[in-house]
Amino acid sequence: MDNNPISPSQRRGFLITILAGLGTAVTAVTLWPMWRFLAPRKGPGALERVAVARASVDLGAAHFFNFRGAPAVLLQPSPGNFAAFSAVCPHLGCIIKWQQDKGEFLCPCHAGRFSADGKVLGGPPPKPLESIPVALEGDQIMVG
Amino acid sequence: MPVIKKLVKTAIDFVDVRLGIRDILADNLTKYLLPRNVNIWYTLGAVLMTLFGLQFATGILLLIYYVPNPSEAFGSVQAIMNEVPFGWLIRYLHAVGSNVIVIALLLHMLSVLFMGAYKRPRELTWLSGFLLFNLALGLCLTGYLLPWSQLSFWATTVATDAAGAIPVIGDEIVRFLRGGAMVGDSTLGRFFALHVMGLPLILALLIGFHLFCVRRVGISKPPFGPDYQPQPPSQVFRHQEHPGGIPFFPNYFVKDLAVISFFLALLAGVVFFAPNLFIPPSAYEPADPFVTPPHIKPEWYFLWAYQTLKIFPSEFLGLAVQGAFMTFLALLPFLDRGPERRPARRPLFVTCYILGILVFLAISIWGHYS
Ligand code: FES
Repeated sequence: MDNNPISPSQRRGFLITILAGLGTAVTAVTLWPMWRFLAPRKGPGALERVAVARASVDLGAAHFFNFRGAPAVLLQPSPGNFAAFSAVCPHLGCIIKWQQDKGEFLCPCHAGRFSADGKVLGGPPPKPLESIPVALEGDQIMVG
Repeated sequence: MPVIKKLVKTAIDFVDVRLGIRDILADNLTKYLLPRNVNIWYTLGAVLMTLFGLQFATGILLLIYYVPNPSEAFGSVQAIMNEVPFGWLIRYLHAVGSNVIVIALLLHMLSVLFMGAYKRPRELTWLSGFLLFNLALGLCLTGYLLPWSQLSFWATTVATDAAGAIPVIGDEIVRFLRGGAMVGDSTLGRFFALHVMGLPLILALLIGFHLFCVRRVGISKPPFGPDYQPQPPSQVFRHQEHPGGIPFFPNYFVKDLAVISFFLALLAGVVFFAPNLFIPPSAYEPADPFVTPPHIKPEWYFLWAYQTLKIFPSEFLGLAVQGAFMTFLALLPFLDRGPERRPARRPLFVTCYILGILVFLAISIWGHYS
């Protein structure tokens, strides 16, 4: 022992290492539950389909609904034909409006214009509206 | 490691140049000397600060998912328990933590009483501590209603009803407390506001004042050991120094940490292995104003008050006795003015002290089984 004494600085280094280890463990054990508690809850499964009653979409009119947590819009451009788009403008994220008289979408924020099939007609939007697949099932329209 | 060390040093240097933080730290940590014979009971203040901090943190977290509305409160608490990840942990820590706080508060008060630390010149410290104790009980009471369970609803009905025993204005006070004739929507609203904002704010200010008193006057020397001498009361302010004592940091701080860990372990033990120790089954049924569950009882720390109300022939008398006792406790340092603090030399005080504890326990147990 006497030949190999532990110096105070070694002792201190050892203690600090132990304390740092313990501190890290305690922090992790505290932060993990808090992180999980605060993390946004997953809504309905990201792959879930949404059913919309066929009667709620009139010919030439638009029906806005909630699709996987964000606004979306359903159109009936010609009888029995349906199309669905995300209602979020690809420019800066405003919600588009349907202008029934003109048959096109208008984004109120920077006057972006989209056709009834989602293509950009004018204004700043860099790309077309994101389209969502639809399928008819009896009197329900299945979106997604 | 050297990098971290350097970063910490740079940060401290920055603040030190601007606020002289090193002096403050030294004065309050390494150069802050405690009496050599300071004992483990002096750690309870630090324990309570930690526990209050935990209540504060878990309370804010619960507030994220809790809905203070009679039709949704119960459901939102159920969602916290069953759906939110770790919601059960946060909620149990908060609910069980309140009980551990009451235990620590009682121990803190009992040790201060036993060692005569409330005596001059620490009357204001005692008084603010006593108010803190009552505020904590108020927080327990107001928090109890929030889950809107049968237990919450009826315990609050009984607790607010007790004020009705005050002559003449009693009924008006009950109405005021409840915000209506019965416990209902408006009661939840005011209890919620008090629980999350009003009382915590006063509590925080009062804790600040309490700590200021402790630090300004100086820690009282434990009245034990051969070299203890009662101090004659001083007519001018004097900070009590303890030359040759032990430094608060690291020596006493380690003891603080040990006892804090003990209390946290106790809390974790109950939370993980016996979460229902303090939570009776009627806490799991939604409130129903039309059905009173049998055997409605307050929490263990209110049992003594509950039982005294039943012992005395009239509720008013019971309430008066409670009020008198609490007033006596609050004003104790102004009534008990002798400088002697050694328990062995205060036989009358120690007798009352022990009898008081026994009576409290007996009445509480009686209340529990009655
Ligand atoms: S956000 Fe739609 S045009 Fe700018």
